[in-house]
Amino acid sequence: MSILEVNGLRKVYSTRFGGNKVEALKNVNFSVEVGEFVAIMGESGSGKTTLLNILAALDKSTNGSVILDGNDLTKIKDSSVSQFRRDKLGFVFQDFNLLDTFTIEDNIYLPLVLAGKSYKEMNERLMPIAARLGISELLKKYPYEVSGGQKQRAAVARALITNPKLVLADEPTGALDSKASDELLKLFCEVNRLVGQTILMVTHSVKAASVANRVLFIKDGEVFHQIYRGADTDQQLYQKISDTLTLLATGGDRR
Amino acid sequence: MRAGFYPKLAFDGIRKNKRMYIPYILTCVGMVMMYYIISFLQYSDTVVYLKGSGTIKSMLGLGSWVIAIFACIFLFYTNSFLIRRRKKELGLYNILGMGKRNIGLILLWETLIIAFISLAAGLFFGFAFSKLAELGLANMIQQDTNYTLSVSFDAIGMTLILFGAIFVLLFFNSLRQVRFSSAVSLLKSENVGEKPPKGNWFLGLLGILILGAAYYIAVSIEDPISALLWFFAAVIMVVVGTYLVMVAGSVLFCRILQKRKGYYYKPNHFVSVSSMVYRMKRNGAGLASVCILATMVLVMISSTTCLYFGCEDSLYSRYPKEINMDYRFLSAKDMSDENISALRSDILNVTEDYDIKPDEIFDYRTACIAGLLEDNEVECDSSYMNYSNMVSYSDVYQFYFIPLDDYNRMMNTSETLKDDEALLYVYRDDYNEDTISFNRAGSFKIKKHIDKFTDTADAALSMIPSMFLVVPDIEKTVENFQNIAYDDGSMMINLRWQYNFDTGLDKEKQIELYNELESFYQNNDSSGIFKIQYIESRAENKDDFYATFGGFLYLGIILSIVFIFAAVLIIYYKQISEGYEDQARFEIMQKVGMTKREIRKSINSQLLTVFFLPLIGAGLHLAFAFPIIQKLLMMFNLFNVTLFAVTTIISFIVFALLYTLVYKITSNAYYNIVSGAKDKV
Repeated sequence: MSILEVNGLRKVYSTRFGGNKVEALKNVNFSVEVGEFVAIMGESGSGKTTLLNILAALDKSTNGSVILDGNDLTKIKDSSVSQFRRDKLGFVFQDFNLLDTFTIEDNIYLPLVLAGKSYKEMNERLMPIAARLGISELLKKYPYEVSGGQKQRAAVARALITNPKLVLADEPTGALDSKASDELLKLFCEVNRLVGQTILMVTHSVKAASVANRVLFIKDGEVFHQIYRGADTDQQLYQKISDTLTLLATGGDRR
Repeated sequence: MRAGFYPKLAFDGIRKNKRMYIPYILTCVGMVMMYYIISFLQYSDTVVYLKGSGTIKSMLGLGSWVIAIFACIFLFYTNSFLIRRRKKELGLYNILGMGKRNIGLILLWETLIIAFISLAAGLFFGFAFSKLAELGLANMIQQDTNYTLSVSFDAIGMTLILFGAIFVLLFFNSLRQVRFSSAVSLLKSENVGEKPPKGNWFLGLLGILILGAAYYIAVSIEDPISALLWFFAAVIMVVVGTYLVMVAGSVLFCRILQKRKGYYYKPNHFVSVSSMVYRMKRNGAGLASVCILATMVLVMISSTTCLYFGCEDSLYSRYPKEINMDYRFLSAKDMSDENISALRSDILNVTEDYDIKPDEIFDYRTACIAGLLEDNEVECDSSYMNYSNMVSYSDVYQFYFIPLDDYNRMMNTSETLKDDEALLYVYRDDYNEDTISFNRAGSFKIKKHIDKFTDTADAALSMIPSMFLVVPDIEKTVENFQNIAYDDGSMMINLRWQYNFDTGLDKEKQIELYNELESFYQNNDSSGIFKIQYIESRAENKDDFYATFGGFLYLGIILSIVFIFAAVLIIYYKQISEGYEDQARFEIMQKVGMTKREIRKSINSQLLTVFFLPLIGAGLHLAFAFPIIQKLLMMFNLFNVTLFAVTTIISFIVFALLYTLVYKITSNAYYNIVSGAKDKV
């Protein structure tokens, strides 16, 4: 069963006075099954961020449809977009996007508070997640009092606490050192395998992509290629991704 | 390095951060302008020639100090925002190889540029508006002034010195902040954010205590003299208390709210409470300033309008009748019935040329002395007074002895009294004893309390309560007081005969009659009978009254405008600068799933609290200040509590409306900034 279906997605940006048109996404088609861990790779300017913005309902597509859990995102009303996002999606950002005004605990609660949940329920949900992510000790601290890796784990907890259908991660390791990156990726794998959480991660790090089940490559606004993990280990997948990227780079020159 | 390098860098810095700098520069310009205007009025020729210019000048002097201190605090407050934002840029320069000395030079140039703009523009607007201010003043008290534009060099000098000093201090403050931080901390300073302050119980409680004490003083004071003595102490306590409560107390309050999980974890409280606690420490000072300013505006406007509209009241209690004549005597014998009749017929000789209906003549003798009342004993001789017993001025009374005959004649009664009996009328106080005894001067049984006696200017003028004792034999009573004398042997007791009457004439005729009476006593020396004699005409003094009270109202309005301007600036600046800070936060919240409606709601709840906290505070201050100010107004012969209550309530309503208007404008500006955050990651 697929949780996300993207069909013929196209996005055209116009420059300020409507003169030049830039086609960020030409024709993107793919689907994500329940419980999958998909990585999307591509160079800068390949349209990754545009794609993620449309998937997150933060931006509108020009043509095509995005069907998430049976709802067409492109047709959803503006007024209910935020609520939809809150109920169905979890976000992990490159720069954490934690609020300095809240403690780590309150930051994690934020989406639940907005959904009107009681403190008791929120607390019951938080405890197992915090324990799994290893941030139980940090809950009373403020974001600027903890390290980058800890902040990102808090952000993951915030994304998971609503039990979203899909977690969207935008370069989650981008602002982390390699050790913190490794820990975070391990967490993603665990959450994916143990809980069956569907994750869609945009990255340009081969290391990050190599922990996914499937890797999509985007080039010039189209899905160019994809690799399934199959029975490969992380190492083997890493190698395959590197090879594909090399091919893409050289192949790109030829075209 | 090229010569223009630092000025150019500094100028670019200001230009690139204009969102932050323009309000700051406007603030500086406004402060310079206000300060110039107030010191201009202080040195202005127009004001010097006003009646009561001494009072007005000292009030303006006080006002200029208030503005000076306020400008200093406020500019430091706004400057701290700027420095925080600039630190990142300066940190970058530092990392790119610029020494602290070079950064200091940039800051110096920046300060110079801002100081120049502020002083030039501020003085320019000051020149422009000072004439307007002066004309307004002259107009309000109905006096003429010339229309030439004048510039006061004293005022310019004062302004330049004051703001020069403030800018130098600001520069050193910025320099200090840059000097003591490393390049990295400079770079990061904007992100670090302020640590949410710990709720400081000590300061919060101290603030509440100080405020409570000030309120207690304001409410418990009973007489105008103590009110005057305690007023400034109470004002300072209120100011300090307000700052402490707003800075520390508000954080405490938010912390308590946060502890109440059922309340805190609700969508509309969650965001607003947490962001309030986050910046309350900084906010607190701003809110307290707005609160204090609002209070000052309300107090000034309500009391000066009360004075202005109560002018007539005050005039009537100062001059109970249209013509008031007052004769002082050296001994009780001098004011015998025969002598008084002679004096009365003199007056009637003068007035018979005028067609007057001598309506309700006040015609009575008094003997008057001050004394300290303890239980039912009065000590009038200061050499016997035990000052350590003197708890407060509220125990000091003015005693008036009135002959029974005069009383019966005036009030159309036929009371009789035995030798040691008296009738008692107490003005502005209560007295519940059956007897009253004067040390070394006899005592009286109080036969009856009377609840009405003619208004006397004298009692109204006096700030202390008065007792009127109607006695059977005034000569004997006065004799008893003969030993209570000043060092030169003259009696302390004051003997007088008052003859006050309404004429029913128009204003010019009244003044004519007054002048004729004056000249009669200049030409006819009757000084064999009385020591001294005064004639006062209400009509003649009316203009003076209006001049003085109109002047007060004008000053009240001018200072109120200044303070309202300042308060609006604080609010506006705070909202705008916070809007930019909050933009990023609300963007994040939107990503996490907050709807626009929820954002609007959360903003509203936050703004409402932040806005109306100072207004509520000001209302509370005003309510508690009411009794003490009312006592102070007594010194201006204003006893109309209803009038003061009405002007106070109207002032508060008008101010609240104005405040709400400002709230609407700034909250829209704030919302536009915050929601200007585009829908993108």
